[in-house]
Amino acid sequence: MSRGFNRLLDAVVRIDVREIQFNDGAKRISGGVGSGVIISNDGLVLTNAHVVSPQAIEVSVTLASLERVAARLVGWDHWTDLALLRIDLDAVKRRGLTFATAEFGDSDGLSVGQTVFAVGTPHGLTRTVTRGIISNNNRYFEDSRGVNGYETGAFNTWLQTDAAINPGNSGGPLVTEEGKVVGINSRGYIGADNLGFAIPAKVARAVAATLVKSGTVIRSYAGIGFRELQDLERFYALSANTGVLVGNVDVGSPAAKAGLRAGDVVLTLNGRKVDGRFPEQLPPIQQSIASLPVGAAVKLGVKRAEQVVELVVLTEKLESRVGEEWAFEKWGLTVRKVSRAYARENQLSDETGVVVLGVLPAYPAAEAGLARGDIITKVGSQIIADLAGLKTLYAAYEAAPEPQLVEAQRNRRISLYVIKP
Amino acid sequence: MTLLRPVSLFLPVVALMRAAAPLPELFNERLKSAVAVEFFVQTETERQPVTVLGTVVDEKGTIILPGAAIGPGVAPGQLRDFKVYRPGGGDSAPAAYLGQDALTSWHFVRASGKMLADLVPVTRWPAIKSEPTLSDELWGIGLRNKDEDFQPYFLSSRVAVLMKLPQTTAILGSDVAGPGLPVFNAAGELAGIAQTSFGQNFLIFSRNQRGNPIVLVNVEESSVVLLAGEVLPYLGRIPQSATGRPIAWFGAYGLQPMDPEVAKLLKLENQSGVVVSDIMKSSPADLAGLQERDIVLAVDGQPLPHLKPDRVVVGYFGQELLRHRPGDKLSLSVLRGGKRIELSVTLGDEPKLVREAERTYFERLGFTAREFLYNDGIMHRAAPGSTEGAMVHFVKPGSAVATAGLRPDDWVREIDGVEIKTYAEAVAKLAAIESDKARAEFVLLVRRGGETQVLRVKLN
Repeated sequence: MSRGFNRLLDAVVRIDVREIQFNDGAKRISGGVGSGVIISNDGLVLTNAHVVSPQAIEVSVTLASLERVAARLVGWDHWTDLALLRIDLDAVKRRGLTFATAEFGDSDGLSVGQTVFAVGTPHGLTRTVTRGIISNNNRYFEDSRGVNGYETGAFNTWLQTDAAINPGNSGGPLVTEEGKVVGINSRGYIGADNLGFAIPAKVARAVAATLVKSGTVIRSYAGIGFRELQDLERFYALSANTGVLVGNVDVGSPAAKAGLRAGDVVLTLNGRKVDGRFPEQLPPIQQSIASLPVGAAVKLGVKRAEQVVELVVLTEKLESRVGEEWAFEKWGLTVRKVSRAYARENQLSDETGVVVLGVLPAYPAAEAGLARGDIITKVGSQIIADLAGLKTLYAAYEAAPEPQLVEAQRNRRISLYVIKP
Repeated sequence: MTLLRPVSLFLPVVALMRAAAPLPELFNERLKSAVAVEFFVQTETERQPVTVLGTVVDEKGTIILPGAAIGPGVAPGQLRDFKVYRPGGGDSAPAAYLGQDALTSWHFVRASGKMLADLVPVTRWPAIKSEPTLSDELWGIGLRNKDEDFQPYFLSSRVAVLMKLPQTTAILGSDVAGPGLPVFNAAGELAGIAQTSFGQNFLIFSRNQRGNPIVLVNVEESSVVLLAGEVLPYLGRIPQSATGRPIAWFGAYGLQPMDPEVAKLLKLENQSGVVVSDIMKSSPADLAGLQERDIVLAVDGQPLPHLKPDRVVVGYFGQELLRHRPGDKLSLSVLRGGKRIELSVTLGDEPKLVREAERTYFERLGFTAREFLYNDGIMHRAAPGSTEGAMVHFVKPGSAVATAGLRPDDWVREIDGVEIKTYAEAVAKLAAIESDKARAEFVLLVRRGGETQVLRVKLN
């Protein structure tokens, strides 16, 4: 293999993670294995958001030398399924360890059929290289719960490869024969033969640069669900290569406030022509809104029946559908804050409340009758607007346990429960 | 001479013994109140045959069938070819569907023809004078399937427990009758009518499964008996129309039982209640001033009773409302924010039900559109009553709209880019598309679970 390829091998790491999970009524620690690639001399490691999340409590990185060092999370972005770690450089220096850094290649310049390699830790098998080709260099794949319940894929398309990608390959690089990183391997169809997906290097570099600076990627949200026009151009009397269909407008979103409606066709976005005939063209359109500063005005030229109208949408900050999670141990109860997106999905009137993630059998919450999926909206006389409110109530309960009247709803049916010491 | 006295004393005893005829004799006699009823449900593309069991309740050949016999979305017009069969063979008699009673949920049908002479109303038999008690033996009738001429067979079991659900119901140790058929005691007195059986928990073991819990429901026999005292007073509730109207309407939804622990915490021991989740605008409940989160404690001064399981109180409350007619007034005691308040409600007329909704099947397009109803408004969180339009009632598998991704319960908002405001508009547009053979495609905008979908339907 080329020198570049050998150097790349020295930059690929195995990542072992222990993280907190709140799924079954108690804080539990679970472990996982993934892959990563070192991208800078100061020890930055790029991996997947679904490998290392903010709930990780212990991250260790196994270098090419098979030496293991600790690392910490620098930044996280589930939308592109990317996370950035930093290796404990003091430990590296102290122990006299070395590592190589990978070089990025041009993911836009990839041609279909080109040979690529996936390097990583499939099923815990450290330092595995598999070979394949670029099967498609512009794959549209959006999943509203793809990264541990978080949304992913709305703002980027993916590289598709037939290089074998198995669980554990996640976060490892997809590289050319010269060892240039063109993608971060991220997902595959389980049960299918060699249908793997990687985040293009171009996206990964940009996101990594932002994560180093601010730990998170702030995006603008308009609330528009775009759909490809494919075959509908004639119906909407459009000339070729113009417009994108509005499939859905989120209730209460900036776009809804601006008067945009499902069935509208967006012809221009801030004066620039929009072409959304095919699904692959949707992520760049979403990205053109998301990349604007929060609060920016987006001018939409909209075709509605025979008319063309201009609407101005003032963007808001994009938020995830997964809210903060917490465990109330004495109650045997784990919860997650209702987010705006969750409220919308479930047609709740607002974001009040926390969703029950799990209850421990025979603990007070389970005894009271609470169950996974219930939304706790009120405890005693206090409305649960945020997690902090519930934490305060819980602290008071811990100090002096008293029966608590809990109001919760399930499928919009309101029930009352009593949590007893 | 002195010997005669004991003899004369003995005679009435013999007479009594004669009244309690041997069970086979009683069985054959009581069998005249049991029938099998066959009909079919005509849907857009097929006929679904249904066979259920029923009890004859009057001299005119009126028969009651369990509520579960017909699905709630089935329009009376879809019910065809009712036929009544007597157990053990013979000709069938034609019958007419009379409708469903909202309070008891029974469906009423009426047989006609020669068979009437052979049917005996269940009211002809004496009824038990007091509730059966634990361990009393009851017996009933089971019927085999049609290919066995609905051959009757004898079942018996003992009362295991009496429960208020909310009606007084005897649960027996094992199955005692076909659901819908009468149950008697040893003297041949009517004890009640067998209900749809309860589910029973089992574990299933197989090569791949090790003790997975499943629930089994016996559809042929039942161990649950609604007692005569809960049956006889309501046999006269023959619906005035096939739709079962008039039906009283309250307009509060998502009623949940008050947990006993909650009652204790609120210092409402010995009291039950229902929590109100949703109040529909301009409904009788709304006009009476009822609010979401109110806890209803009493109806017309009668506190809601403690019933087990807890959720039974919701059924109790619902029945208290359905005993009334539209326009009736009743008073409610309600707990709101720790304070007890009294409300006066004037019941309304139940908004149109799915089974009454207008519907049109478009064969070429492959779906049935029906009116947008008040209850659809509840489901779609749209201000009920204020919104109109069309719902997708049925989608023919493999049809043009099915291929385009249309699903039942989608709410049609636009057709060909034009907003649909009424059902009539939707039908007019769809009919025009259906009859335009040159039409190659059309576009639907539908609402589904809070989101919209644009569907392009290719015709031809």
